[in-house]
Amino acid sequence: MNGEVRLEELTKSYGGVSAVEGIDLDMPPGEFFTMVGPSGCGKTTTLRMIAGFERPTSGRILLDGVDVAQTPPHRRNVNTVFQSYALFPHLNVADNVAFGLKYRKTTKEERRRQVAEVLELVQLTGFEGRKPGQLSGGQQQRVALARALVLRPQVLLLDEPLGALDARLRKDLQVELKALQSEVGVTFVFVTHDQEEALTMSDRIAVMNDGHIEQAGPPQAVYDEPETLFVADFLGVSNLIAAQARGTEGDCCVLRVAERTLYAEQGATGARGDVKAMIRPERVRIEPPGGDGDNRLPGLIEHAVFLGGFRELRVRILGGSLIKAIVPNDGTPFGYEEGESLMLHFPQEALRVLAPSAVPDEPSPDEPA
Amino acid sequence: MSWLRNPWGRPRFLPIVTGVYILWSIVPVTVAVLFAFNDGRSRTTWQGFSTRWFLDDPGSVKNDPGLLSALQHTLLLAVICVVVAVPLGVALALGLQRWRGHGSGAANTLMLLPLVTPELVMGVALLLLFLQIFNGWGLGTTAQAIGQVTFAVSYVVVVVRGRLVTIGREYEEAAADLGAPPVSRLTRVLLPLLAPAIIASAGIVFALSIDDFVVTQYLSAGADTNTVSMLLYSTARGAPSPALNALASITLVITLVTIALAYLVYRRFAGAGSASEAATLGEVAIER
Repeated sequence: MNGEVRLEELTKSYGGVSAVEGIDLDMPPGEFFTMVGPSGCGKTTTLRMIAGFERPTSGRILLDGVDVAQTPPHRRNVNTVFQSYALFPHLNVADNVAFGLKYRKTTKEERRRQVAEVLELVQLTGFEGRKPGQLSGGQQQRVALARALVLRPQVLLLDEPLGALDARLRKDLQVELKALQSEVGVTFVFVTHDQEEALTMSDRIAVMNDGHIEQAGPPQAVYDEPETLFVADFLGVSNLIAAQARGTEGDCCVLRVAERTLYAEQGATGARGDVKAMIRPERVRIEPPGGDGDNRLPGLIEHAVFLGGFRELRVRILGGSLIKAIVPNDGTPFGYEEGESLMLHFPQEALRVLAPSAVPDEPSPDEPA
Repeated sequence: MSWLRNPWGRPRFLPIVTGVYILWSIVPVTVAVLFAFNDGRSRTTWQGFSTRWFLDDPGSVKNDPGLLSALQHTLLLAVICVVVAVPLGVALALGLQRWRGHGSGAANTLMLLPLVTPELVMGVALLLLFLQIFNGWGLGTTAQAIGQVTFAVSYVVVVVRGRLVTIGREYEEAAADLGAPPVSRLTRVLLPLLAPAIIASAGIVFALSIDDFVVTQYLSAGADTNTVSMLLYSTARGAPSPALNALASITLVITLVTIALAYLVYRRFAGAGSASEAATLGEVAIER
């Protein structure tokens, strides 16, 4: 039992409209893999194809090397935790968990032992006799997990399982779910629209948009090195500055913004012409006005919001772009008011060039909620 | 009149209208039931309480072979109707719900047609059918049962489909995901979840069958296929006797008890969130 999933040229179209457009993905065994993207990006359709609820229009789904694309769901050793849990309301917790075991050749004793074991794993011992309607959202979610895990699937599929829970419980369950995954060692394929959830829980993420994969890799790599405008904008907050790429100097790309020169070390440094320079708010430094040096642009503070651990600034820089900057509340006095000017420093190692090919013609997608 | 117009108080006018209406609709039934217990032959003058028209009198429900046979035949038809129409309706509901593609819209509309077709039209049509096309079967119990099932199925389909829509496909997918083959998904998940709707529709069908007059009358063949409703119709003006009131009271009680039982079972198993179907059931109960 390994649990490696490999998608090859996987496509699903509904009456000519494609929901998933020939995606290739490798989900290594035993990892927490997350597909993240805005609603309608095809992530749930992809998950449903792996589960077997949707038949792919073309392409292959390799489960430990075996193509299961045409196998019906009840013959796949893959289990799903549904967004609404789909616990059978007429059965109690123990019967819900034992539901799938009836199709395995096990004795009644063995079945009972396995149910007890998995309920202990999800900390629901003593709840055997309850009906799903008598459980809280978090408990229902754990029953759904137990019901799937008791079958020892090669892969566990999770379709936004935390979506229906309140924010606080979500945070707790994120940690719990990740710990559980490490404990059982089953490959988890998780679907969410919540970029924070994707970043905190996963070993590897795939950012999806419009039926295709924008970028896949470990969370930090994808966050730090977004290859496309969409990824930069979808994962976390990004500042995008329109710039002219003029050439390279050493490892850096030379950018012109409003008659000033910026050097950028990251991304498509070989690009020329109209590009976007991208920097995360937490990487922008603030300096007193009138300072000098490379990679600096003067700006005017439009908003300064105190958020406890840090301040969030919105600064209108020379050239008209609005830049978000995060200033940690680290004890040094913050001497700026709204309406005052200051100098923003964009360190060259934090500045990233997004090639024009990575920037779609349409306006950038909305920021995630 | 200030209590009628007090804008801060509860509305008074609507409850009055409602109250008057309820009274108006209940009075005839109550009077009819009351005179079933009259000690005399009169159906207009109260002569004291007795149960003679149920049990003792030679012309009572118990002793008059015509009345007793009508009651038995009515119940027999009702049972056949439930046994045939409910499974058929459930199967049709499942089929129609899953059917996506050409013709599904038309089938859905056709399914509702018996609900809006005037019963007289349906009765005559069925009569012609049995006389001219299926004349081998002839009229009588079989024809009556088939006729009743024909329109009763629609009610089953409507109630069961309503429930199917609220259930959705997710439970079936979950069952498939856990390894259940198609038949198992039906028996272990879908049918238990549909149970309240199935029981409710059985109640409705039973009540419909007992109360049906037009179709049953057209497809009857002689005295031994008379039902209670037919008997009431044919003798109400001709040979009035409180025994008929007694017979009507019995059917009324059977209908009410059936609907009440179905409603209770439904409430118990369907739980919250299925108020609309319970309301449908209530409407049918009131309509009858």
